[in-house]
Amino acid sequence: MEVLYNNIPTGVGSKGKLRLGSEDERQLLLKGARWAVEKGFGDKEDLLHTESGGCIEGADPDLISKKAYERGRAQQGTLGSGNHFTEIQYVDEIHEEKIAARLGLFKDQITVMIHTGSRGFGHQVCTDFLEVMAKAVQKYKIDLPDKELACAPFNSPEAQDYLAAMRAAANYAWANRQCIMHWVKESFMQTLNASPTALGMSLIYDVAHNIAKVEEHTINGRKRKLVVHRKGATRAFPPGHPELPLAYKDLGQPVLIPGDMGRASFVLIGTEKAMQETFGSTCHGAGRVMSRHQAIRRAKGRAIYREMEDMGIIVRSAGRETLAEEMPEAYKDISNVVDVVHNAGISKKVAKLRPIGVIKG
Amino acid sequence: MPIEGLRRIDANRLEIPKNYKAGMRTNGIIFVDEVLEKGLETGAIEQVANVATLPGIVGSSLAMPDIHTGYGFTIGGVAAFDIHDGVISPGGVGYDIN
Repeated sequence: MEVLYNNIPTGVGSKGKLRLGSEDERQLLLKGARWAVEKGFGDKEDLLHTESGGCIEGADPDLISKKAYERGRAQQGTLGSGNHFTEIQYVDEIHEEKIAARLGLFKDQITVMIHTGSRGFGHQVCTDFLEVMAKAVQKYKIDLPDKELACAPFNSPEAQDYLAAMRAAANYAWANRQCIMHWVKESFMQTLNASPTALGMSLIYDVAHNIAKVEEHTINGRKRKLVVHRKGATRAFPPGHPELPLAYKDLGQPVLIPGDMGRASFVLIGTEKAMQETFGSTCHGAGRVMSRHQAIRRAKGRAIYREMEDMGIIVRSAGRETLAEEMPEAYKDISNVVDVVHNAGISKKVAKLRPIGVIKG
Repeated sequence: MPIEGLRRIDANRLEIPKNYKAGMRTNGIIFVDEVLEKGLETGAIEQVANVATLPGIVGSSLAMPDIHTGYGFTIGGVAAFDIHDGVISPGGVGYDIN
């Protein structure tokens, strides 16, 4: 845990150990995780097990503000704060024996889950384009019940610019996780004195859960191109879908559901029913029941890290406040959430993972 | 107590009918069982209904069981729009992109 904590830059506005020039940053916005692999962070095989190969086409670095570039340069290769984490976990339950085996999962196995995104870069892209969209709403005379729904017609320049900037942020996030995964492998190598291959460390899957993508879906028997917005929702494509890597083609797409730091996380698999009912989507996590503010008040006078230790979970965090915001009771019970998507048939439970070591921002 | 104006489709699906709110072009579907339904925020239900008013929405305005109130769109929300007559909205992706 100490090695991991030292190797992964963590915390609010944390600065990375990568020293990026502006050309590096442009390249990573275009190439995503591919950029990271080219720079020596991880293997080409990782990209096969990453949604969209870790790089979505159509990103345009010229549409990114100076402010976003600045925030992005310092924060590539950092975990950040809030609900983001790197966890050492173990496989507590296997729900689908055959699928789990094909993914390389077995009971009591140690796993590592990384939950982070595009950091301040993506935040700035969103902020910048909310301003653009507020104007677009006036320009295109769109009647909205809430100004926070600011949007633009898909074919307008405003919408296309947002899409290209959002894609750059998506690529930033894939590069970020690729770098962090590399440092996770290095940490295990350092500590256990064995190579990732010898330790059986390979990527099961890397998937986004806050993204808009142009996808083909069959609606009333007709194939149509749609822009699917998933916000706190995970793609869950069924067996046979052309976007799946060869190794998982007959299984369906693996889905990762990061939970709160005390209870559990899940691995699910995509289904045909998700394709029919939810544009190939499922849940993304536990979902908060308390606001961050409420959680901080509720945690007053308590030592959350000690409570976690009593549960057998070691926590390292850059910020005391983060631990209060993120205490397990601030979230819904993830098992309830996952049971609903499983019972509704929009994805299937494969394995339940429990945390033993948590690194928080 | 069931939430007024909503209709339970089955054990895991709750419908926001199209007539729940003026301007809705389609219905909303929230994937929750009766336990999670108790914790549903009114604000989040309104947001799922609001998304159903957006131009070019295809199918239902959807929300997953981890739904909670977000910027404009709920966190846990899924919405698809036609690329010819639909829209794209940064609030539908959120600040924490990817």
